[in-house]
Amino acid sequence: MPEALLRPRPLCGRTLRSLLRPSAIALAVLAAPGLAVPALAGQKPGEVQAERAPDEIYAKTCGYCHGRNVGPIILGRKLPAETVKYIVRHGQNGMPAFRPTEVTPAELDALAKWVEKSKARKDEHGY
Amino acid sequence: MNELNLDRRGLLGAGLASAASLGLGTGASAQNPAPLAPHMSKADFAGAMKAFRGVVGNEWVFGDEEAVAPYAKVYVPDPLGRHVPVGAVCPQSVEQVQEIVRIANTYRQPLWPVSTGKNMGYGMTAPATPGQVVLDLKRMNRILEVDADLGTCLLEPGVTYQQLKDYLVENNIPLWIDVPTVGPIASPVGNTLDRGVGYTPYGEHFLFQCGMEVVLADGQVMRTGMGSIKGSTAWQAFKWGYGPYLDGLFTQSNFGVVTKMGLWLMPKPPVYKPFMVRHGEMADVPRIIEAMRPLRVSNLVANCNLMMSASYQLAMFRRRHEIVPDGAVLDEASLKKAAKANGLGMWNTYFALYGTEQTVAAVEPIIRASLTASGGEVLTSAEMGDNPWFHHHATLMEGGLNLDEIGLLRWRGAGGGLAWFAPVAAARGVEAERQTALAREILERHGFDYTAAYAIGWRDLHHIIALLFDKSDAEQEKKADACYRELVTRFGEQGWASYRTGVNSMDLVAQQYGAVNREFNAKIKRAVDPNGILAPGKSGITG
Repeated sequence: MPEALLRPRPLCGRTLRSLLRPSAIALAVLAAPGLAVPALAGQKPGEVQAERAPDEIYAKTCGYCHGRNVGPIILGRKLPAETVKYIVRHGQNGMPAFRPTEVTPAELDALAKWVEKSKARKDEHGY
Repeated sequence: MNELNLDRRGLLGAGLASAASLGLGTGASAQNPAPLAPHMSKADFAGAMKAFRGVVGNEWVFGDEEAVAPYAKVYVPDPLGRHVPVGAVCPQSVEQVQEIVRIANTYRQPLWPVSTGKNMGYGMTAPATPGQVVLDLKRMNRILEVDADLGTCLLEPGVTYQQLKDYLVENNIPLWIDVPTVGPIASPVGNTLDRGVGYTPYGEHFLFQCGMEVVLADGQVMRTGMGSIKGSTAWQAFKWGYGPYLDGLFTQSNFGVVTKMGLWLMPKPPVYKPFMVRHGEMADVPRIIEAMRPLRVSNLVANCNLMMSASYQLAMFRRRHEIVPDGAVLDEASLKKAAKANGLGMWNTYFALYGTEQTVAAVEPIIRASLTASGGEVLTSAEMGDNPWFHHHATLMEGGLNLDEIGLLRWRGAGGGLAWFAPVAAARGVEAERQTALAREILERHGFDYTAAYAIGWRDLHHIIALLFDKSDAEQEKKADACYRELVTRFGEQGWASYRTGVNSMDLVAQQYGAVNREFNAKIKRAVDPNGILAPGKSGITG
């Protein structure tokens, strides 16, 4: 197996190693009755999703594939922003296309520039 | 890092002209535009699009080829280009959906509603028949309510599993989600409407749905279950309401546009322990099913358990030419060797235990004994460590998010071709033995691989076959189309019909369910949507 495939990968802020301990994992207790739902940063109840920053879109969409054995590494390769925008809207080979309703035009402009200027990440791996 | 391969990455860094020249657009062009619905004139279409702009604004109506391109991308075989939409309209409120539906009736413009449009391998946002405008509901992405005590939520269709998960984490609500394979970009509402499945004990999504809001074809808004009772607190708590149960009518159908849906969410258990059972031979699958069925029927194993073939597993993270040379048959000896090198068996069965320390400790020996007797090695994180396949399934079985299975799209050549074929049988080993033999015969004769899994939902057996092909190769796309149709037809002759299918085969599968059933659906369609404006052809239903 390639070494890259053996590395633990980020998973919602935890690694597999921390997630899967040798014995069954007591991760939480059941919800306390009457738990209030505090309003924190992020999406608020009843409101549409606000505009997202490039790093958030990368982490929660692109980065699930790119740099994780599924899609090619795209950070740190000086990919022209216009090319990034074209591929996002059309999909390439196995990549799905993303519509303006999924990544808005403003978000895509910022994301494409961010990808173009990005630095390579050591924790990314794969094809 | 490897050198770039043109088929996989050639466009990275290339100019736009190169991309366009490789035909990554819609297939339509100014000289050869996507066809309108047969009954419509260009003036009708223009009138409808103008009126849509009046509702949602110019920026949320798409009509030219370039703007429609993201809506035309499909993985399924479509050699005749039948599944290309003519436009898209993107509302952000129920009131806008009502207005759009009224306009569609005026111009008789068919609408193809999508939630997030990421039912990959089933058609994404592409319609079943030509001439439809996609009703893209992604902008309607409000999380309207999460009740931490009852374990329920009320969502709009554009909410993704990622959004819901983030909301639960950010607000420290100890409820899980249950994801399909492509959770981060898929919709809980959309997946449930397609009667999709996931991996936790709440994996049969429609079982855990409770209450809908639906815009009907005449523009009225209807709420199902307790939702139409003024002052009721039970819309997301009691599924059935009074009288005929209506919610099912709006799944896999075209009888309304679902604009809100209630779902039940599983309380995070104190203990979660994922397992993998490794079997060494292709012929082992019947005995795995025989061992698993009583565990599943009794609910000792509470989640849908998945038996993944070595080829399906390898296709996620490896490429075909790494295992056998291009053009060679994917033989069992090569597969076994590759599987072993990656810590896999020829069948890899995943399930998990959920509960308390005491309940898991009590159940685990019973399950181990049964599965060991079937000839399997029962493995946990202690043995599998950071194995990426184990990691993938361990993530899904606790409602975690990943997109690992998009890797399947690169199995062959430039990739990009996938059609799921998912026939249903009773959960008996003998059924699987016959199905595997039939599937391999058909797939291999057409030049494709048996990349498949079995899943025991509860008492049912789903055979989940990924027909993987190179969509950049027109001849291979034609073969994939013919192969898929033969799979549907010949499995149907044996009594095995699909539980769900892509836009490329909705009519074909509907025929298998019989004339009486089709006519009943058509009668409903004519009654509730006399102008046929909602998703004609969805599940083979027309008026």
